[in-house]
Amino acid sequence: MKQETREYNFDWMLWSSVTSGSKVMDGTRKEYQALLRLIPNFRSVIDALISQGEPGRLYMKMGAEYLDDIKTVHEKGKKLCFGTFVAAKDLFYAFDNVVPAWAELLTVYGTMMMRRGTAEYMDYCCEAGFTETSCSAQRGSVGAYLAGLTERPDFLICGAPGICDTNANAMQFMSEYLDIPLFQLTFPSNLTGKRITDYQRRDYKALIAFIEEHTGSCLDEDKLRSVLEEHKRQDEIINEIFDLSRLKPCPMPPIFNLFLYSGKLQSSGRKSFTTLLESMLDVVRENADHYTTDGRFWQWVDSQDISLLPTLIFTFFNKGINYAEGREDQTYEMNTSTMDAMIDSLADINSRMPMVKQLRGPYDATGMWRDDLFFMSKIMQPDLAVYVGSMGCRNSYGANKLIQRDAERFGLPTLLLFADAFDDRVASWEFCVDKISEFMHVRGIVS
Amino acid sequence: MINNMKEAARSLQNDFVQKRKKDGGKVVGYSCTFIPEEILHAAGLLPFRLRGIGTTSMSIGDSYFGAVNCSLPKCMLQLAGQGSYRFLDGAIITNGCDSMRRLEECWRKASEDYPGTLPEYYKYFAVPHKSVDYSVEFYKEELGGMMETLEQHFKVKISEDSLRKSIRLYNEGRTCLQKLDELRQNRDVPISGEDAMAVLIAAHAMPQEQFIVILKDLIEKLKKAPSLSDGKKRLMLMGSASDDMDFIRTIEEAGAIVVADTVCYGSRTYSVLVDEQSDPVHALSSHYLTHSICPRMLGYYKTRRAYVMDVIRKANVDGVILQNVRFCDLHGSENGIFERDLESAGIPCMRLEREYGPLSETGRISMRIDAFMERITDPVFPINKVMYQDPEVQQHLHSK
Repeated sequence: MKQETREYNFDWMLWSSVTSGSKVMDGTRKEYQALLRLIPNFRSVIDALISQGEPGRLYMKMGAEYLDDIKTVHEKGKKLCFGTFVAAKDLFYAFDNVVPAWAELLTVYGTMMMRRGTAEYMDYCCEAGFTETSCSAQRGSVGAYLAGLTERPDFLICGAPGICDTNANAMQFMSEYLDIPLFQLTFPSNLTGKRITDYQRRDYKALIAFIEEHTGSCLDEDKLRSVLEEHKRQDEIINEIFDLSRLKPCPMPPIFNLFLYSGKLQSSGRKSFTTLLESMLDVVRENADHYTTDGRFWQWVDSQDISLLPTLIFTFFNKGINYAEGREDQTYEMNTSTMDAMIDSLADINSRMPMVKQLRGPYDATGMWRDDLFFMSKIMQPDLAVYVGSMGCRNSYGANKLIQRDAERFGLPTLLLFADAFDDRVASWEFCVDKISEFMHVRGIVS
Repeated sequence: MINNMKEAARSLQNDFVQKRKKDGGKVVGYSCTFIPEEILHAAGLLPFRLRGIGTTSMSIGDSYFGAVNCSLPKCMLQLAGQGSYRFLDGAIITNGCDSMRRLEECWRKASEDYPGTLPEYYKYFAVPHKSVDYSVEFYKEELGGMMETLEQHFKVKISEDSLRKSIRLYNEGRTCLQKLDELRQNRDVPISGEDAMAVLIAAHAMPQEQFIVILKDLIEKLKKAPSLSDGKKRLMLMGSASDDMDFIRTIEEAGAIVVADTVCYGSRTYSVLVDEQSDPVHALSSHYLTHSICPRMLGYYKTRRAYVMDVIRKANVDGVILQNVRFCDLHGSENGIFERDLESAGIPCMRLEREYGPLSETGRISMRIDAFMERITDPVFPINKVMYQDPEVQQHLHSK
């Protein structure tokens, strides 16, 4: 790792960049243009976000709030929980003295705003003993934690056993390497049924007991209810955005997908995400009549007249969402009547998170990856599907050729892109663009 | 006698399997150590551990699996697709790891293109990833479901009595294997690691009754056999699944003897006996989910480390080879932690990434092992070895 990378803490750098970025529109347009010249690495991303107007600004504010909590966690006498993104965030926000930090989200922030992305942290993991073939989504931030370039987590939560080995393995490695207590939520291969519900309830209760033990505080029922009510409101807005997204041309700017899933994965149940969603809904409603937008990947996608509809990364299966129509048993419902009902709701939310739902069992079993792709395709009528995973994703790589074949038979042109969303050393951005463009031309999707 | 074992270990459809088929018996393959053989045995079936040996091409494996999946399930799929597993009457695939779990779908889909290659009884079996009361309960229910489907498909009855008998039989096999371990742990080792591996593989490739008879006889002979370990470094093999005797031979040709291992297909399954007193299905559930040292059971590293340290001490190991099949992150990353902890205890380690299957990298592997042998014959290491036997170091290790 370069000395300059060690000069500042990873979480501090993210906080610093995002917080500053979130303030750029507080001044005049001229001041904003002048400021862009001072942030050469982050400029294009900031510009892409800010060009979205109010939602872009709110997105940055939401990120700044999240990163500020992480940076100041110990200063404020709170406990830092570090984990993988597949955990229901609401539970953690129901504790006053817990700040959650999620590996993949921090990797995404680093990838977006740092000059060399998170490559040095990824490589540091390998120096510490990780396999170089493990998933970049965790390595990008975990490397910084292993190197001691962050606030030290007080405990770890892993929600991936049974879903993703490499993800779960990263947390186990970190736990042993840094000697930090770890709790793992595990998932049976099925999604529905009493046995599954019972298992997940007991697992969730064990998780709550673990958090209480390591924070010295009790889960507050009223606080949890209020967080879940906020989450409920957020889901209602998301449902409306998704309904509007069925229009052609799609009125949702592609970059809103980033806002949606990072908000859901990072700030679910927090007021800042509700505010962002309300602002996004206003834009989508307006675009339903008239629509233009822009953003690097997002800009390119938009320039090709592609409406991006991520299936695996952005399906949460909240009740009422259009892609769950006819499959209501696979959705979660927010029941805030009693503590037990709320715990059940949390367990249901968690077990329906992206990846957790689709990759837990055989890819073609009911409610799994293939089902979700096909249902989404029927509703959204996409012209093509593109698979992009990380090189560490054994689970999806073990079935992506099968799903490609099924999708093609279904009538959906499907491209398997050999690239890594978190590590552009695997395949460059230009390569990805070329491959997708070539595919669209060869398959006659564009002329 | 050992030749019978070697034959069983070197081929899929070995003499024992052929005889069982000729006598009208049924053979059920299974993919990992989380399937209790006792249940298959109690159903009158021959449990057969799936393997990937003898693959000469990966044309089928690569067509269904992705580029970044482990070569073990790919080799298994290759064999399945080319019809090498047609002798199986059933197959059970577990979610042992992410690559292995996808063998279930890949094999099923490949059979659409290669008709007749999917056994009539074919099941995906989900194993929980933690050992707590409710996961043992869940696993027990899964086993109950599997037993029902076995009974229906093969028109057999798995009685409590037959289960108890099978548990006793397999415990006897475990006890024999523990005795073999004791011989390997002696100062004078009467059996090479290569031959010992053949025995361990054969344990899951032939009828247990015959296996026990042969093994007992072998143990008696080994008690009188000359030492093979004189002047050799005593190594232990850890990490990913390995059933390649040629790999062990390559290690031993460098002047070492492999005296212990913790690998899948190796010594992983018999250190603890199944409880014979309690309800048999519960006893099996509790045993298989609690006593595994597979890293797919996440969060139990310290238990595994204690087990490994115990084996190292008993077998008086000079060095450890931490190998992993490429893309096996579970073992690969845990090897990193093991390397740190074992080295800090004065136990020399070598990490080795390799491919499963035909020993295509003999030159590279030989060179790595030669270098490791050079290292552990360096005079500095005996000093370190004394260090890890020091009670204070032991206490430090266990308190970490």
